Amino acid sequence: MPLEPVVPLLPEVLGGPTHHHLPLLLDLSFREGYVRSIIYVSLYVSLTAVALSTLFSVPVAILVGFSEFPGKQFVKSVVNTGMGFPSVVVGLLVLFAVSNQGPLGSLDLVFTREAMIMSQFVLATPPITAITLAAVSGVDDGVRDAARALGGTRLDVALVVLKEARYGIATAILAGFGRAVSEVGSVLIVGGNITGADGISKTRTLTTAIQLEARQGQYETAMVLGAVLVALVLTVNAVVVHFGDEGVAG
Amino acid sequence: MLRATAVSQSFGGERVLDDLSIEVDAGEVLGVIGPSGVGKTTLLRTLALSLEPDEGSVTLEGTDVWAAGEADRLALRRRVGMVFQEASLFDGSVGHNVEYGIRVRKPWSDRIAAAVGLAGPPDAVHESLDVVGMTDKVNQHADSLSGGEAQRVSFARALAYDPDVLLLDEPTSDLDPRNTAVIEEAIDEARNRGIGVVVATHDMHQAERVADRVAVLLDDGVTEVGPTDVIFDDPTDERTRKFISGELVY
Repeated sequence: MPLEPVVPLLPEVLGGPTHHHLPLLLDLSFREGYVRSIIYVSLYVSLTAVALSTLFSVPVAILVGFSEFPGKQFVKSVVNTGMGFPSVVVGLLVLFAVSNQGPLGSLDLVFTREAMIMSQFVLATPPITAITLAAVSGVDDGVRDAARALGGTRLDVALVVLKEARYGIATAILAGFGRAVSEVGSVLIVGGNITGADGISKTRTLTTAIQLEARQGQYETAMVLGAVLVALVLTVNAVVVHFGDEGVAG
Repeated sequence: MLRATAVSQSFGGERVLDDLSIEVDAGEVLGVIGPSGVGKTTLLRTLALSLEPDEGSVTLEGTDVWAAGEADRLALRRRVGMVFQEASLFDGSVGHNVEYGIRVRKPWSDRIAAAVGLAGPPDAVHESLDVVGMTDKVNQHADSLSGGEAQRVSFARALAYDPDVLLLDEPTSDLDPRNTAVIEEAIDEARNRGIGVVVATHDMHQAERVADRVAVLLDDGVTEVGPTDVIFDDPTDERTRKFISGELVY
């Protein structure tokens, strides 16, 4: 199997020319496409989970934020508690759900990306819901009153509130993405950290790869993968902030 | 035109409005004067069809608003405009704000076309801004306006969709004399357009300047309603006389 040095990746990560003389980098090598495949799996699983979670969390947060009902504070407490829910426990619960004995056993999802998405969905939903709820609740009541008094329907008022709260919602999505992409325990349990016979990642993510490399004493490799992970998070943050600023201009 | 009959409104067991009746006709300005905390805002929100009265009825041209179905009630609500004490402008340009009431009355296809820039702002936006002397600020962001300018834009926003009734809740309480004069001229223009205007204010001089009729709202409800000159020069109710003369101090 041909080997692909990781060094060519570094200009992207470090933002400068490759320094082949650095002793730290001399011994690093991966199977062809290995790094790309774990980046792909990391992004695919995390972005899909966060997208699904956003589609679920934002309407729930608006519904809770706009409604007055008995037990509203309890619902908020449950959501806030969910932000600190141990990820390994989430992984165990999802693993049980998709195992042969579990309710989703017939779907044959053990050690698949879909199971990892389920796990990350569960982890990302509490922070996205809680922060969105706080952002929506923080919108000035006068703005809601004005939107309604000007003839807005419930949907119109909700859209106005969404626009006013968009920075908070962007922060919520970033927090959810941060929790998902940096997750190790649950994706290790439900995904299995698997690569194919060709060395291409099936369920291995950057975090589980870092964990594996560090456990094997490959600290340099783990460091490089960590740098790639940080670069990815920074890139996603920059994209979200950029679109937020464009929203203001419009 | 817009009539509240024997309405009562309570919050948390406290009676804010008690068996109160009031009416405004097309092309007249009704001033509602009374001390702070007496229920003027609650009365206006009830007239704005935002609050369902605990008892009594609100009718618009003979149609009982709260006996109507939801769709009919929305149509009735859209014939009433309201300006609040705080401008509460939306995040966006002045034109975007003033167009809001027109926009929410359009079908979604037209709204999407406007959002993607296929349709410019309607003439009513410029006409309304002209009434408050703000046409040159149409593209300026709402955040950059002074308090007085923001309140003028808030007035134009409510005027733009040509409501049958316009409710103004302490519209100049935080404004300097110049901006107050602009708003009072705009009230006069609304009357000339045949709009029924209700101005709630604790500024008796303003009521005397702008109103055709005045309702005096004290702790025990409306003590007297009548032509402005009669209320200020020759009130029949003793409490009204004491309030007008300043003997009844809150």
